[in-house]
This record gives sequence, structure tokens and C-alpha cells, in this order.
Amino acid sequence: MPEQLAILEPPSELDRLRETLQIALPNIDNARAEANTFRQQLEASLLGLTSEDTSIVVFGSLARDEFTSGSDVDWTVLIDGIANPKHLDLAREAGNVLNSLGARGPGLERIFGSMAFSHEIIHQIGGEDDTNSNTTKRILLVLESRPVGRRDAFDRVLNQVLSRYIAEDARFLQRSARFNVPRFLVNDFARYWRTMAVDFAYKRRTRAGTGTAIRNIKLRMSRKLIFVSGLLACFSANVLLTESELSALLQAPNATYEFVRHLRRVLAQTPLEIVASVINRHQHLRRIGLQLFRAYEVFLAVLRDNDKRAHLDSLQPSAEEGDRIYQELRGASHEFRDAVLDLFFDEQTMLHQLTRTYGIF
Amino acid sequence: MIGFSTGAIAYSNFRAGLQVLGEQNVTVVEISALRMTEWQPLMQAFDHLDLSAFDFVSIHLPSEMNATEEAFVTQSLRAIQHRKYPLILHPDVITDFGRWRELGKLICVENMDKRKAIGRTEVELDVIFRQLPEARFCFDIGHAWQVDPTMTEAYSILKCYREKLTQIHASEVNSRSKHDKLSYATIQSFRDVAHMIPAGLPIILETPVSPNEMRDEMNKARFALTPLGSPSELVA
Repeated sequence: MPEQLAILEPPSELDRLRETLQIALPNIDNARAEANTFRQQLEASLLGLTSEDTSIVVFGSLARDEFTSGSDVDWTVLIDGIANPKHLDLAREAGNVLNSLGARGPGLERIFGSMAFSHEIIHQIGGEDDTNSNTTKRILLVLESRPVGRRDAFDRVLNQVLSRYIAEDARFLQRSARFNVPRFLVNDFARYWRTMAVDFAYKRRTRAGTGTAIRNIKLRMSRKLIFVSGLLACFSANVLLTESELSALLQAPNATYEFVRHLRRVLAQTPLEIVASVINRHQHLRRIGLQLFRAYEVFLAVLRDNDKRAHLDSLQPSAEEGDRIYQELRGASHEFRDAVLDLFFDEQTMLHQLTRTYGIF
Repeated sequence: MIGFSTGAIAYSNFRAGLQVLGEQNVTVVEISALRMTEWQPLMQAFDHLDLSAFDFVSIHLPSEMNATEEAFVTQSLRAIQHRKYPLILHPDVITDFGRWRELGKLICVENMDKRKAIGRTEVELDVIFRQLPEARFCFDIGHAWQVDPTMTEAYSILKCYREKLTQIHASEVNSRSKHDKLSYATIQSFRDVAHMIPAGLPIILETPVSPNEMRDEMNKARFALTPLGSPSELVA
């Protein structure tokens, strides 16, 4: 179709933030560029492997635009269609392609690096069959994932997961509701964040301290960031939308569909972009934005430095106290934590009320 | 208003399809010429077809055409343009928008199933309608369901293009992208957006059925497109 027009993406909130805060974000920019480059290579190499029923989805830093040469590549073949024994071959081929590109493999838990099936992800929210692995796949699909190649299956599954969270808890969309926050979704994000924190302690014990330092810093920074972005997405109707936009959403012929569409738009951004969108929207939050993004720059600067990253990978817990690199990152994580707390307890927006109401009990 | 595509009643044989529909007193029809081989016979037959028993007639254009065939089809449509039948067009066959633009409001763009790379979503349809601003819209609710079973996309499409709606295609589209009889789960999904569809629009079923199954499938479709909360119209 020669006359087909391009579908334009909206400008990045990070680009706007750079202007709003008048700061340079070299490490965030470089990590974003590296992620883009790698995804493009990956897409070219995976050409023809995806279909209307199978999407190859990447997670983690590659999806968040925080990719560095030392990053693992978490990926899965997401299947939403007729069962086919050949799907395992497809997953193996995808793994071969990633190996050929020099990608570091998924983590030791083997949650990623093979197949994931839509039915489990969509139907098993809560209950005994919602395993740690299933929760991880589902939440990360919502918060930090990108399809590489055909995205049909990815879009269908994501819509269905979000629709469950919204349609089964739709009272928050009634015009009489005090706040417009999907509590079912907030609770699942909170559960996942606490699960990550508990799993950190589990891994520290079972792996005898190996890799504890870098996992600890990631928990304080990038893991916390995805929870922050999830909470902001849940609060977004009251924090990002204008009064007239919110009113139009609530009065639409079907507010549930409208909210799912709204959430898709918000969650199509990376976690850093979601945070940036809130800072961009509220002028008085600029100081918090500066503190938060400067701290994240320090974190990414270290991860992008192969020597420092290797040093952290091998750092034993007993040596953390006197380690300069670790302490620098720990300091940055405190700056990040304080900025996040100031953000969520900001009294000039509704954030403090929402945090009190939904973030604690 | 509810009826069938001739292709659903008699594969690749519009005359047989029209005859069965007449015998069953179905007065809403989409005359189907999905394959190019059916196109010329249909065009040649028009002057002799008695369609007076039908309250609504539309024509489904071939779903695969090369540029030469596209030129031939658009040229031949001039002979029947005066009849004002809606012309159902799959957007993925278009190579020259200018030819279709000349047919103005008669063109009825249909949203596509998940196999196609274009015309499936609100955003993808926008690309088409910007090229064909006068064109009308044939909403295939089964295709929209297949693209997004939550019906969020169906809702978005209907919200955006409700004013352009001319007819509805209603059937199950199974995992192999074939038209099938409406199932329980799909009917429930259709009902979620039925309130977005203006009353009185012609509904065309593309479900392959035998003559004695037609009434049952029409009843199911009627029920599927009844908004939630409305009195049930399903006839057992």
C-alpha cells in the first residue's frame, strides 16, 4: 500500500523533562540509545519468527531503555493461539538468535528464556495457581516489556490482563468515587514489589552472598522504579489527567474501556518516562525531579562502567561497608528514596492522599 | 434488519445464495464476490437480477486483487454506481486510493482480521479513512473481537467511526480466521459493545450455515447485538 501514512508516536516525556529541568541525562540517554540499537538488531535477526499468535517479548533493562553492555536479556515467546509443539522450536531459535548477538542470558530462576502462555497469564491472577513465576511474567508484561517483531499477541494479552484488573473492580470509575484508582491493580503491583524484596533475602541466603551487592542496588533503584511507575500509572487518572479529561473519561459510553485505553497509553512509556510525565505535569515537582533523575544517573553511570559493574558483581556482603563504589550507589539510592517519598507525599497534588489511601493499607 | 452474505449460504455462487435467501424470506443481503473469478459474472448478471424482494443490498468486493484487477473492478463499478449499493472493501487490497476515492460514499471500508497488517484497529483505520474521507464503514465485530477479545479495540473503533457505520458483519471468527457459528463466549463479548451500535443498521452474517440453521444463527446474532440490560430477544 504505497500511500499508507506513518503512525506518529508522541514525543518522549524524557525529552520534555530535559528541557523542563534544564539538565543533561547522558547515562539515561546512552542507555536508551543502546537499548534502541540492540532491539533493532534483534528485530532484524528475528525477522519471520513472530506471527499473529506469537510475539517475542523482552523485559528488564532492554525494555526499560536502560540497557548497558553488561545487561542480561530477559525474553519470552508469548503465545496466544492454537497450541503447537513447534513453539518450543521457535523459543529455541529465538534463544539462538540472542546468543548470536552476544546477549547475556536470562537469570538463574529460568522464568524467562522460553515460552509463556496467555491463558495462565490472563486467568491466574491470585489463588494457588498464580505462582511466583506467573506473577512475575504478568506484572513485568504490564510494567516493563516490549514486543520485538509482530506485536499482535502481545497487545491482545496485555489488553486482556488490564481489562481483568479494571472491569472486575470498576467501582472506582463511578462518578461518585472519591478517587479513581484501580485497587485490584495497585494491590498486585504492591504484592509484586514486596515479593521482589522478599526474594532478595531468599537469594542472599541461597546464593551465599554472591551477587548480593548489585541485586541490592537494583532493588533500591530499578526494581523500586518499576513499582513507582506502577503506582503512578494507577494514580494517573487523578495525577496526570486534567479535570476535563477525567470527566470525559468517566462520562464516556464505557468508562472501563476508556480506562484500559488510558492505562495502555501510560504504560506504553518506560518507567522513567512515566515518572518524567508526572514531573512535567506539575511545575512545583521540579526539585524532586532533579534529585530523582540525578540519583538515577549515578546508578546508570556505574552500571554502564564494565569494571565497576564487575566489581559489584563479585563484591561480598562483608566488604560492602568499606567499598567506595557500593557506598556511592548506596548514597544515590538514598537520594532516590527520599525523592520518591517526597513525590508520593507531595501535598500540592493528590499524591499524598492517594498514597495514604492506597499505598499503605 | 438482519440477513446473510450470499457466500455464506452458497460458496462462490451468488445466484444460489440469493435463491435460498428468497426462499427463507430473508430480505437483507450482501452479494459476495470475494474471488476475482466471481466478479465479472456478477457484473454481467446485474441487469437481469431481480433484487426487488430485498430491503437492503450491499456488494462485497473481491478480497484479493492485483493493481490491474483493481483498475478493472473500479472501472466496472461505474456501470452499477447508480444503484447506490454499499460496496464493501477490504483496505488491504487497495493499491491506488485515487480510484476508490472517486466512488465516494459508496465505498464501505471493513475492519480487518488479525492476519492482516492494516485496517485492524482504530489507529490503522484512521490511516485508511484519511485517504478515503468520504468512505463509509462496515464494522466486522468478529474481526474486532479476534484482534482484541476484551472488545476495547471494538469500543475504540465504534466510538471513532460510529457516524460512518453502514452495515455490520456479525459472525464468530475462529482461531484459524474462518467464519464460524456464534459461540456463547463470543456472544457475551459482542453484547459488551452492542450499545455502541446504532439501532436499525443492517446486520450481515457471514457464518456458513445450511438453510435450516439460518433462523437460529440470525436469532443468536440479534441477541449478541442487543445491548446488555435490554430485554432478551433470544429465541430458543
